[in-house]
Amino acid sequence: MLASAGISGTIGRAFLLVGFIGAIFGAFAAVAGARRNDQQIIRLIPRFATLIFAAAVGAFAAMEYAMITRDFSLAYVQKVGSWSTPALYNFAAVWSALEGSILMWVLILAGYTMAVAIWVRKRMQDVIATWALGVMFIVCAFFFLVSFFPADPFALGPPGVLDGPGPNPLLQNHILVMFHPPILYLGYVGVTVPFAFAIAALITGRVGEGWLVATRRWSLFAWGFLTFGIALGSWWSYEVLGWSGVWAWDPVENASLLPWITGTAYIHSVLVQERRGMLRVWNISLLVATFSLTILGTFLTRSGVLNSVHAFSESGIGAWFLAMFAVVLVVSVGLIGWRGDKLRSPGVIDSPLSREAAFLANNVLFAIFAFVVLLGTVFPLIIEALQDRQIAVGAPFFDKLSMPIGLALLTLMAIAPVLPWRKASTETLRDRLFWPAWCGVAALVASLLLGSYGVAPLLTFTLGGVASGAALRQVVLATRRQGLRGLVGRANGGMIVHLGVILIAVSLGASNSFSKSQELSLVANVEAQFSGHTFELRDVVEVRDDRSISVKALVLVDGKKIYAPAITKYTRIGMNVGTPSVRTSLTTDIYLTLEPPVRQDSNEARIKVFIKPMIMWLWIGTALMAIGTVLAAFPGRRRKPTEPTSAPVEVAKS
Amino acid sequence: MKIVSACVGVVVALLFLVLVVSEPDQDIVAKSPLLGQPAPSVASTTIDGEPFALERRKGSWVVLNFFNSTCVPCINEHDLLVEFAASELANANAAELYTIINDDSSDAVREFFTKNGGTWPKITDDNGTIAVAFGVARVPETWIIDPNGIVRLRITGELSAGLLTEQVNRLREEFVS
Amino acid sequence: MKTRRSIWLAMFLLVGVLLVFGASRSGGPLTQQDRIDAITLNLACPTCSGESIYVSRAPASESIRSEVARQVASGLRTDDEIVSYIEQRFGGQVLLVPRASGVDSLVWALPVAALIFSAFLLFTAFSKWRTNKPTSPTLEDEQIVAQALKSQAESESKRESQ
Repeated sequence: MLASAGISGTIGRAFLLVGFIGAIFGAFAAVAGARRNDQQIIRLIPRFATLIFAAAVGAFAAMEYAMITRDFSLAYVQKVGSWSTPALYNFAAVWSALEGSILMWVLILAGYTMAVAIWVRKRMQDVIATWALGVMFIVCAFFFLVSFFPADPFALGPPGVLDGPGPNPLLQNHILVMFHPPILYLGYVGVTVPFAFAIAALITGRVGEGWLVATRRWSLFAWGFLTFGIALGSWWSYEVLGWSGVWAWDPVENASLLPWITGTAYIHSVLVQERRGMLRVWNISLLVATFSLTILGTFLTRSGVLNSVHAFSESGIGAWFLAMFAVVLVVSVGLIGWRGDKLRSPGVIDSPLSREAAFLANNVLFAIFAFVVLLGTVFPLIIEALQDRQIAVGAPFFDKLSMPIGLALLTLMAIAPVLPWRKASTETLRDRLFWPAWCGVAALVASLLLGSYGVAPLLTFTLGGVASGAALRQVVLATRRQGLRGLVGRANGGMIVHLGVILIAVSLGASNSFSKSQELSLVANVEAQFSGHTFELRDVVEVRDDRSISVKALVLVDGKKIYAPAITKYTRIGMNVGTPSVRTSLTTDIYLTLEPPVRQDSNEARIKVFIKPMIMWLWIGTALMAIGTVLAAFPGRRRKPTEPTSAPVEVAKS
Repeated sequence: MKIVSACVGVVVALLFLVLVVSEPDQDIVAKSPLLGQPAPSVASTTIDGEPFALERRKGSWVVLNFFNSTCVPCINEHDLLVEFAASELANANAAELYTIINDDSSDAVREFFTKNGGTWPKITDDNGTIAVAFGVARVPETWIIDPNGIVRLRITGELSAGLLTEQVNRLREEFVS
Repeated sequence: MKTRRSIWLAMFLLVGVLLVFGASRSGGPLTQQDRIDAITLNLACPTCSGESIYVSRAPASESIRSEVARQVASGLRTDDEIVSYIEQRFGGQVLLVPRASGVDSLVWALPVAALIFSAFLLFTAFSKWRTNKPTSPTLEDEQIVAQALKSQAESESKRESQ
């Protein structure tokens, strides 16, 4: 392919420059227009938004073009492109390393900016919209700049290169690589929108409820995609990485989890502000935290300070993100301090036994959870700064501390849906929790009958049962009153999301405590047994293509079906990748990996067998969360302004 | 409220300080709990099938280089090792250079050395026992062991020009005095 | 509602008994693989950041896993001794869980401190709210409410007459 040296590169950089200039001008227009309330200037804003979106699309298209035509004049294509990578994975190779992933961030951010500009076009007299777009333009300008200087995907590489190694082999053997990063980014980048509106509210002093209600669907959209993206990442870890787990508390995973934690706290806490005008400082702080954590997370994973297998260690880009993190925090905290008096709410929480109090406790728990995850992730850096020695903080720390937090959250999930607003009596609680409590007992008995043991998993199952009972009670009551409409709306959709979360919690509890594994040395046609299942090696075969040599062991499981765990050597990179093979069922997964060394046409193979209970429930729970999020986005039953805000509390009958 | 904001502010400021101070690890002469201790026992074979035991090399300086034929810094530093081996030939108290193969096949290593030169013995390390014994996780690493079998120096990462000769000479002088 | 109360009491008792029963149960004897898994879950992969040797697929992890498997199979060392063996070679960075001594213990102490601190704050906030009576509506507030009710009644009657 005779792509003239660097033409894609020049076009790409031109688009980035146009985008940067457009963002700067858009920001100026927004700020000037808002301050002077000048409609002439404000009318220009949507044009700038369209301009930067077009520029971002152009730059991304130029990158894809260079990748598809294997234009090896660009250093980035030299790094991750290859003639032997299949077309689909080659397309995804664009976001497999640092520069391309920043380019994807630019594209999605510019897309969100234009979407917001379209959404507010009828309300441009409202100065909040103008300020919000101003903030978004500034963030866009930052990312365009980063993509132009430290993370330049269009930089020229040394001449004369005719082929490259292709992306990391782990990123070219499963279709999920096409979906997980874009979906995660839709969530990760999407939190910029509610953040921009929060800043606009602070600047204009209109910190009441209007902007919250208006941006509700944007927040839910971003949160939903972030949740789904994290779940897809777990699924990918399970299917591809071969250690049979879904979450390793790796710094990159933690970087995506931190904004999710504060984001989840926000979407709950915002309900209190809508109902009672309280917790305003919490909500703005949670939004600021969520956005800053996306910037901080990018710093931690891209700067090389925590060298992870995921992380692309590049020096220089770290400083940019650290500076942005500082600016965001200083500006936000300054604004919150300036508007402190307006943020203080007139109301108080009447009683510790009320839904407001439950949401406040929820905020506190999630804040502690975020603190724990952040502390564990940066603690090696702290120790290195203080004592110049290396330590590691890994899964045992996070598992041990997230267990009590998780149980506390399950308890809140059990109690909060039945708590009325303002005040509850213990009689009300006892009445409403009666059947959910019996669900909990049933769950406990069932789990004991199935052989469970250990306080932590049993408590998880019991509390999960109570919480499911509480969630189901709400949904049943709503459908009884309104038929199918009882399934949509924030409260009901939220209960379905809760059911999904409970399934995930129960599944994690079961698989963390009751998984078993064993290494088996198999000889062909001789049956081996483990944990009530039989395994028989049928054959060891080799499959070659132009980028890899794969040795597969064909194992007959339980005399029914053949599963083929494999070890694949990617010849261009010299890396060996193990591919597991999984037999899934509703109750148990049988997970097989092939252990080196193994030779084709040999009659022996060593495999490792993992028996993992209830993994399927993780994915069912994820699906429920997705469905619930979509249901929650629909408007619920419209409430008349004079109707009481909560169902009347029954008087105790005794 | 004020106390909470003050606490949060302090925590964030501290976090920021820590992040600014941290930088990616760049030390080349590295620490190890084995420095000054007797070297772990190494018993293996060369790729030509000859037996090799580290204990029997006592009386000479030994340089162990952990190597993998696909690792880019290893490839880059190879010429420096060839130079080092050549310059040692002239020395009465010559240091013996050995390559320890790390997660690579003997054939690939043999092919590499045939193409790029280097006639010193290459030791196989099936199962990575030698690497684990020395605490070697990443390649390249170069270890210097004195004639009494005590570990003297650990260099992690790619060698720079003259570094190895300089360090071996320095250690030889210290040893005599 | 005495019967309800006693049912609840019975429920709590039942749950308590079942939990104690379940806690004292065990899942069977520990196999060698269980020992290997327990040890490798607590050792950090030296070339990764924060991943355990159990999880990581890096070649360094594979070698250390084989070494641990060899030592467990030989039965000569206890779990702690095997961990020390690896620690002596790779340095303290290979321990995945910071020891609870010295500066390292901060990573455990700080979350607990945060929990106690926030519980204390919640407690003081609730007691402060209980002593502060809620504000009564001002004349202005009552006028706003009256206006809203009036305009709502008007729009309703308009709709009815259409």
